Amino acid sequence: MAMTLNQLVLRSMRKNAKNYYLYVFALIFSVTLYYSFVTLQYNPAITKEIGNGISASILKAASYLLLFIVTFFVLYANKLFMNRRSKEIGLYQLVGMPKGLVTRLIAVENIILWLGAIILGVFMGFVTSRIFVMILLKILEKDAFVELSFSLEALLRTVVVFLLLLIVVILQTAMRIRRVSLLTLITTTVVADEKIKKFNVFQMFLGFIGLVFIGCGYYLSTTLLDLLNDPNMTPNKMLVQMLLILALTIVGTYFVFRFSVALILNIVRKSKKGLMSVTDVLSLSTIMHRMKSSAMSLTTITILSATTLGILTLAYISYYSADTMAQDSVSYDYVMYEDTGFDLIDEFDEEAIQFTRHDLDLLAVQADVRPLLLKEFALKKDISTLLTVQVVSHKDIKNKLPKLQLKENEGYIVGYDSLSAENIRLESQKPIQFITSTGTDEIFITEVTDESLVPNYHNYNFITVIVSDSYFQKLLHDPLNENQKVVGIELKEKGQLKKAEEVFEANKVSVEIPYPSGLATKTVSVESQETYRLDILNSLGLTIFIAGFLGLAFLIATGSILYFKQMSEADEEKGAYTILRKMGFTTNEIMKGIRRKQLFNFGFPLLIGLAHSYFAVKAAWIFFGTELFAPLLITMCVYVILYSIFAILSAGYYRKVVEDAF
Amino acid sequence: MVILRGRKIKKVFGKKTTTQEVLKDIDIEVRKGEFVGIMGPSGSGKTTLLNVLASIDKVSSGTIEINNFNLQKMKEQKLSQFRREQLGFIFQDYNLLDTLTVKENIYLPLSVGKIPKTVAEKKIKDITVLLGIEDILNKYPNEISGGQKQRTSAARALVRNPSIVFADEPTGALDSKSATALLSNLEKINKDKKVTIMMVTHDSVAASFCSRVLFLKDGQIYSELYKGEKDRKQFYREIMNTQGVLSGDGYDA
Repeated sequence: MAMTLNQLVLRSMRKNAKNYYLYVFALIFSVTLYYSFVTLQYNPAITKEIGNGISASILKAASYLLLFIVTFFVLYANKLFMNRRSKEIGLYQLVGMPKGLVTRLIAVENIILWLGAIILGVFMGFVTSRIFVMILLKILEKDAFVELSFSLEALLRTVVVFLLLLIVVILQTAMRIRRVSLLTLITTTVVADEKIKKFNVFQMFLGFIGLVFIGCGYYLSTTLLDLLNDPNMTPNKMLVQMLLILALTIVGTYFVFRFSVALILNIVRKSKKGLMSVTDVLSLSTIMHRMKSSAMSLTTITILSATTLGILTLAYISYYSADTMAQDSVSYDYVMYEDTGFDLIDEFDEEAIQFTRHDLDLLAVQADVRPLLLKEFALKKDISTLLTVQVVSHKDIKNKLPKLQLKENEGYIVGYDSLSAENIRLESQKPIQFITSTGTDEIFITEVTDESLVPNYHNYNFITVIVSDSYFQKLLHDPLNENQKVVGIELKEKGQLKKAEEVFEANKVSVEIPYPSGLATKTVSVESQETYRLDILNSLGLTIFIAGFLGLAFLIATGSILYFKQMSEADEEKGAYTILRKMGFTTNEIMKGIRRKQLFNFGFPLLIGLAHSYFAVKAAWIFFGTELFAPLLITMCVYVILYSIFAILSAGYYRKVVEDAF
Repeated sequence: MVILRGRKIKKVFGKKTTTQEVLKDIDIEVRKGEFVGIMGPSGSGKTTLLNVLASIDKVSSGTIEINNFNLQKMKEQKLSQFRREQLGFIFQDYNLLDTLTVKENIYLPLSVGKIPKTVAEKKIKDITVLLGIEDILNKYPNEISGGQKQRTSAARALVRNPSIVFADEPTGALDSKSATALLSNLEKINKDKKVTIMMVTHDSVAASFCSRVLFLKDGQIYSELYKGEKDRKQFYREIMNTQGVLSGDGYDA
């Protein structure tokens, strides 16, 4: 034999270049992603910013999750790659090459490909990790200089991980070659199609059950938050319900793909009585016949999409809410309390920083909110309603609520945010009872809003009642109530914020204020909205970044898998396109049917994924921020757009196949 | 009436340096209602000729007219429409869509254009009864025999009453009994419905069902035989003789 194994490998690699490029792309992409992420863990700029505590372990946990995605992606790519080459492998055996030699051939080939991919991927990862560090620091709004540092540790870890994966892939290949007979190797692309015969009642039932499962999962997810208020709630119970939701939706999704879809399509098809248009032929019947083999991968893709979307949305909700959270907590650009921070005012004057000053009296008053409770809520829950609420005079807040009109015995509630709403549900057009030294006063509440206009001093994150000036005077003079004078500073020009922040940093003061009882003191300081916002970003920034990074990795992995899958489907269906074109159907007519199929293949998992993530986010968002719909909508739109790129790519591939098919 | 007219058909394969002339200035005419067979040794260009006549492949030079439509003057879009409306195809490997039932396969050519469902049903019924496959309409291709597949393929080719049907080795993958059944069917349809058929075959028995047989050699028409009033056995012997002369030695197909 004149040709050595190496020559044979090289020759077959050259010939198969078209088949390889996808696989190699998947490999390089995986290495790039993994290496750049691991590099982050060892980047001095990052370690300095985030310290070594929890953040470091978050990074580590995320790197394992990434490893999982990468493994899944690479193994799937290898499987598809082998499918496409089954004929070639069959041919090698047909001409008398023993299985061992074929395995060795493929193994050598893989080793060459992987080494190339690792080198290229590490190089690209090295470049991209710098971009990632810059993005991360940008999220944290830090202007640190990013050094392009090469990490030997990261390289070592990447190489070890991918060499292990390579071994797994070679074993997967070897097992595959060993298991299958020559005959199946040659015909594998043909048997992939399932011939649906008749639907039995059991399958119809399972198809129905799938829909029921998903519905139940959704319903349970909406009740998850109520569980928090359940006195019998234990962490275990919560976990059980969460796992139940997961199981129901995942199994339900699989059943929907495996049985419901084929069931519905079969009914539609039956209704055509054998008279199907070309568009139907290329969408309806193809999808139906492939459902058995694609149910699993479509389910995986749906679940991955839902997870990605959920993580991304929740992270984005945190990021998006940072502004509102800062505004909620510090309701003016700077808030200072009686006798503190007046130096800062002088400093501002000195630095020519323009501002408006607002003086407020904040009263702490005991009140009973029971009459305000939502009826059903009052019946359901056993809660104490005697609370300290903060009261502010109408005149002090006029600049923020210019339209507000209040009569003597009327009040207006602000600061009733989503978290308060979870604990106590209030309604307007009902009275609140203030407890004074002379008895109780009933104040009629005209409105309950979530606006947070008043600094929260007396009760953290609970309601503030705005009352008429005359009634406020009465409360102010009641010895039961504690008053705190507060000054809010509002910058006239936001352009001066940076300068103001520098002044603020230089004049940070905090003072001990005695409680009215005189027994204890509490520390208060001048507060800055901007500093508060940056603090939130700092504590969430890494989580947001990791979520974004993993989300993108998931998105690209799922999108690519769908794209690869569509490519191999297109190749398998080339014969059908040839027949149709010979019969006189134009490329455009055929593409019409294919586009409908694509709409299903990409759109259906996306749609279900969107629905899943919507319910998941709705059940959990409350812990992540204060805004739901804007970040949810933005994340979903961006996701759909990025996802569509893969659909467009695969439609392009289909068109090429159809044009070539003749 | 001449339904197909080819003038100086030339087909060249390959690039500049390594060209190979597969069809050399072929002139051909087919009249309406004819059942024309094309024979010749492998490499003689018979499938290429069929493909260019059927507008599946393009000629290098020359003109082809079918039903007074000039194939060379039509754009891709128009050509597809023409193929769909005027031509029918039967191939050696059946070319049925695996994911469709027999009925759905046959309906395909009718699916475009404004053919009412009831009319379509009637057309499918007529042609399937004629070909004897009316009982397997709801079966999938993998559930029926080769002969049935080819009759399905024939039904699909004929269901739209095309001007001309092109068949490329339709009996190539069939056993002799199924082949004879199919050919008798085609012969009957040709006679009764005046459908013009053009068939490439290397099988002399198959060719003996035709009304005229053309012999191709090295890209040129070498000779042609008419059946006339002869019976099939006689015609078969004549075909065998011509083939013997054609291949120079004892014919071995």
